[in-house]
Amino acid sequence: MNQSLKSFIKILITIVLSLLIGTIFILVTGENPISAYGALLKGALGTKLGLGTTIANFTPLLLTSVAFVVAAKVGAFNVGVEGEVILGGLAAAYIGINWVFLPAPLLLLACFAGAMAVAAAWAFIPAFLKAYYNVSEVCVTILMNSVALYIGSYLVSGPMSAGTAVPQSDPVQVTIPKIMNPSSANAGLFIAILIVVAVIFMLYKTKWGYKIRTVGTNPAHAEYAGIGSKRVFINAMLLSGMLGGIAGCIEVLGVHGFYLDGFAKDLGTNGMLAALIVKSNIVATPFMAFFIAVLKSGALAMQQASGVPKSVVDIITAIFIVIATMEFVIELKKKHKKGE
Amino acid sequence: MGLFENLDKIFNVSLIYATFRASTPIIYAALCAALTQQANILNIGTEGIMLVGAFTAVAVSYITGSWFFGIIAAMMGGALIAMIMAVGHIKYNSDICAIGMGINMLAIALTKFLLSVMFGTTGSFANPDIIPIPRIHFAFLENVPVLNDLLNDWCFTEWFVILFVIILQFLFYKTVWGLRLRAVGQFPMAAQTTGIHVNAVKYQAMLISGLVGGLAGAHLSLGYSTQFVENMTNNRGFMGVAAMYFGGANPVLTSVGCLLFGFSDSVGARLQAYGLPAQFVLMMPYVVTVVILAISMIIKLRAEKKRESSLITNEARG
Repeated sequence: MNQSLKSFIKILITIVLSLLIGTIFILVTGENPISAYGALLKGALGTKLGLGTTIANFTPLLLTSVAFVVAAKVGAFNVGVEGEVILGGLAAAYIGINWVFLPAPLLLLACFAGAMAVAAAWAFIPAFLKAYYNVSEVCVTILMNSVALYIGSYLVSGPMSAGTAVPQSDPVQVTIPKIMNPSSANAGLFIAILIVVAVIFMLYKTKWGYKIRTVGTNPAHAEYAGIGSKRVFINAMLLSGMLGGIAGCIEVLGVHGFYLDGFAKDLGTNGMLAALIVKSNIVATPFMAFFIAVLKSGALAMQQASGVPKSVVDIITAIFIVIATMEFVIELKKKHKKGE
Repeated sequence: MGLFENLDKIFNVSLIYATFRASTPIIYAALCAALTQQANILNIGTEGIMLVGAFTAVAVSYITGSWFFGIIAAMMGGALIAMIMAVGHIKYNSDICAIGMGINMLAIALTKFLLSVMFGTTGSFANPDIIPIPRIHFAFLENVPVLNDLLNDWCFTEWFVILFVIILQFLFYKTVWGLRLRAVGQFPMAAQTTGIHVNAVKYQAMLISGLVGGLAGAHLSLGYSTQFVENMTNNRGFMGVAAMYFGGANPVLTSVGCLLFGFSDSVGARLQAYGLPAQFVLMMPYVVTVVILAISMIIKLRAEKKRESSLITNEARG
């Protein structure tokens, strides 16, 4: 309890610090920081369209951030969630367009299953290489993100192209209903929440989750306890990949209705960001994902209302991570106690 | 059609320079990563350091009209970014992957922000007032058939990288500083016992790595091209890290790894003329990097296992 309170306070301090540093950048542009932040909040939460956009942004981030956390729990730094989102979306689009012989509910299930399978297969490559040959998963996953991006880009400008100027696929035959017109928020939100709750339950209340956490904290101990750490490592990465795949499926079926080239841009990165800021605390991660979604959807409104470039928001979030990774807040406290 | 009849058009003398040209930015990046790796710090922030360097180089070259100041400023910028990472990692115990990714994102956002605040544009910035790094022209080579294609008009920093690889090789393996650096990387406790200031050496490695990373960026934006584009490093920093793994942080071997990536890049670009889709061409260096990285690590692990099994007891291994 005390520990979690401490980390909560630390996150708060980090947020305040980052916003303060962001203020400096806004002042550099010669704008008023308070009105800029106000425009950001109003844009993200104040209007129905804004709130809907925030929720639409939040849905994939929820899944990608938890995907990163699941991998982090087993000791993997999975930067590859973005690639998994892309391939999941691609698989969902392919099935949604071509398997029309299935009735709608089954087709929807098939889309999700296909997205999960393909994304998991993609995640298997870095997982296997890391588990058995100690190849840096950071390097492999980042490079594989580019590969996934180009695979998607090739397919929708070639074999799967709808023939439009913007590279995209034909529309899928099954969609996830929108919940807040005219924004692109959709019922995928509920799917995402259910899945994340299930994942948290699995991680903390099942034997399988215990194994993952044991391997992540102490692989040598896990081996002594008879847990095949390599297998568990790969399984966790597969789960992480599946979550990314689901995010891609929801984006394609719920937001766009077709596979749009580059739709996954920054989805994985921002999810990773949310997870990194809270140091992969799985309960805090969804809240941070929401906070990032607010920042992202408000950024454009801020740019339009105040002339502050929206990259300020990216700077703020990046500074978040840099500060959040450091352990100085707790250190400061210790010094304080010594002083007393 | 005609791919096989035209093999001589793909594999000809000019491919050698094309390969070297494509490899040079990655070689600088890989050396940036190798420097810290020798001190057992995985420099995930190479990409970000390089991007900041690329922007600073273009901005300063544009403002001062001097490519030299551009390079110096880029190196300073790279060092500054690297020092943020160093303080976070060494003093405040940040996870190097986490803070490295933070630095990379910061670099992308910061350069985007400065691009719009300083130059009022988004996407890219190209201007005739940006002075590129000069190309070195040997007049006496003009009439020599093969050598003229091969060696003339190289960018200054392309010549320099060859020298630099040799300098680093010497620094790592033939100097006291290099010995200390590697000692810190391999067994910090032992290094400390012999009176080496472990953290000081780590800071030095990060600082020099930042300077090199900045140079990598400057070469990319003032030598390899003459412009700044958002996120123009395009994962070259990570390819450098992969090459560093390939070469085990040994500068010469690491550069060989980079040449392999550059080679696949250039061959891919030529294949595009024969109907290979653009996306496959763009994908090629990444695929090759992953495959080579995997193979090199598998071979390394096998070799280690072999060495281990030839020892009799566990104690002997230490």
